[in-house]
Amino acid sequence: MGWKRDLGWGNPALGVILRAVAPVASALTAAIVYWYGASQAGLFDPSRLAYVVIGATLYGQISAYAWVPTSAIAEGKSSNVYPQVYLTPSSSVPYLAGRCFASFLESVPMVMVSFLVSAGVSVAFFHSQLQLIITPLSAGLAVLAMVAVFPSALGLGYLLGSYSIFASKFEWAVPSYISGALMILSEALFPASVLPWPLSAVAESLPFTYFMRATRDALLYGSYGAYLVDVGYCLALSVPLVVLGLVAFSYGERRGRSKGFIDRKSL
Amino acid sequence: MYGEPLWFAVGVAFPLFSSFGFAFLYRSSGASALAGFAVLGGIAVSFWSNVVWSMASQFYWDKQEGLFEIYLVSPAPTSAILAGMSLGGFLGTLPSALLVGLVGWRYFGSSVSPSWGLVGASFALTIVALYALGMLLASLYLAYGRQAESLNDAVQSTVSMFSGLYFPTIGVGSPFPFALQVGVSLIPFTIGMDALRKSVFAPADPRLGLDLLVLAALCVGFVVAARRMAEYMRMKGRRDGTLAVRLR
Repeated sequence: MGWKRDLGWGNPALGVILRAVAPVASALTAAIVYWYGASQAGLFDPSRLAYVVIGATLYGQISAYAWVPTSAIAEGKSSNVYPQVYLTPSSSVPYLAGRCFASFLESVPMVMVSFLVSAGVSVAFFHSQLQLIITPLSAGLAVLAMVAVFPSALGLGYLLGSYSIFASKFEWAVPSYISGALMILSEALFPASVLPWPLSAVAESLPFTYFMRATRDALLYGSYGAYLVDVGYCLALSVPLVVLGLVAFSYGERRGRSKGFIDRKSL
Repeated sequence: MYGEPLWFAVGVAFPLFSSFGFAFLYRSSGASALAGFAVLGGIAVSFWSNVVWSMASQFYWDKQEGLFEIYLVSPAPTSAILAGMSLGGFLGTLPSALLVGLVGWRYFGSSVSPSWGLVGASFALTIVALYALGMLLASLYLAYGRQAESLNDAVQSTVSMFSGLYFPTIGVGSPFPFALQVGVSLIPFTIGMDALRKSVFAPADPRLGLDLLVLAALCVGFVVAARRMAEYMRMKGRRDGTLAVRLR
């Protein structure tokens, strides 16, 4: 029942496959765009292909679970779960953190499937091996980087969740805005230097950018010193985002209560 | 959408960000001249998203909410209701598609000299084929749909990749083997995007005429198939007693 409820399918394997299709297709689309553009320009570089595949897989993962607080509130209001959670003594902050963490755990296997499929397809379609360093150490460091960026994604989730308390329709566009912003601003597909100012400066100040760099340090460059620095930046930059998210969410709940939005289903 | 402007902000996000993201990727790959492909893909994906989220799964959601029975007892044929939904969906999506096109062209400044007549013909045929596909999918979702969100995510991203929204998937430059190119050509969007790219970026391409002919044939085929499928599913649902069953 747990699988069925969470994946929406009676057959867990089918549920997992259906959930993996979209991130795999998105990562491959980005890989093909790079391959096509670079090949036409005569500048194809297999390590850059790996750079794109890593980023394309990971930004989708972050956006998938950073949206969870928003959807938990939006769906929870219509199913009356959110008002009940709000009434509990510890409020909704730990509830949303738990939902977000569960989604994070679910997304890790999807990332692995994306990497494996992308590696296979690269050989089949582009006749090029993905130049990834896959060792227990590099894989462990990549997972550690995913854990390091989790607080930032949670902070972003609280920030967006505070809006979701009052939203009526726009919350359904939030995943597109998160994944779109991460696609452009987190060095997911291309270096921040490609962006015009001030977008490049924004990208340099986001923890997600350093998460991408750290993962590439581990899986692509094998540069473990740079990895530690980038994980450090990622963690340091997550602090203001988490604080901002918690403050905004706390304010949102207080205001939502005073204005009667906590249990309002349609606006 | 015109009654609730907030839907505009909802609809424009995905096409705008994805077209800009891929245009920057083209630029960073040393192929700035191809950034226009990404902008064109952003325009097309606006309509494709509308087809998937507001056409294909619409009957399924209407059924869950109890609206579908009202459609069925109305005197209008099911295919006419789907055609009306298509027209409404197209008009509702047009503003966001135009915005993506204008902003993208302005920023990435692709220097192109399209043949506007051919662009219009390619666009019209692509849209008809695309919404006919949406009508066909609506019937299939109605019969077999379960967890429409999961199906939509899978269908949207997979078709986007195989049909070549942002890069050619058939002919010269395709990354796919020949057999796969033949397979993906059966998706009307594939031929439509190929025709649109040629009419915008290479209007003198002699294969454009063939694309338009195949696209016209696909339009007729998909419209006929969608009409028959809608009627077949309606009759099957009535026989099996599943038209009003919410969860299966």
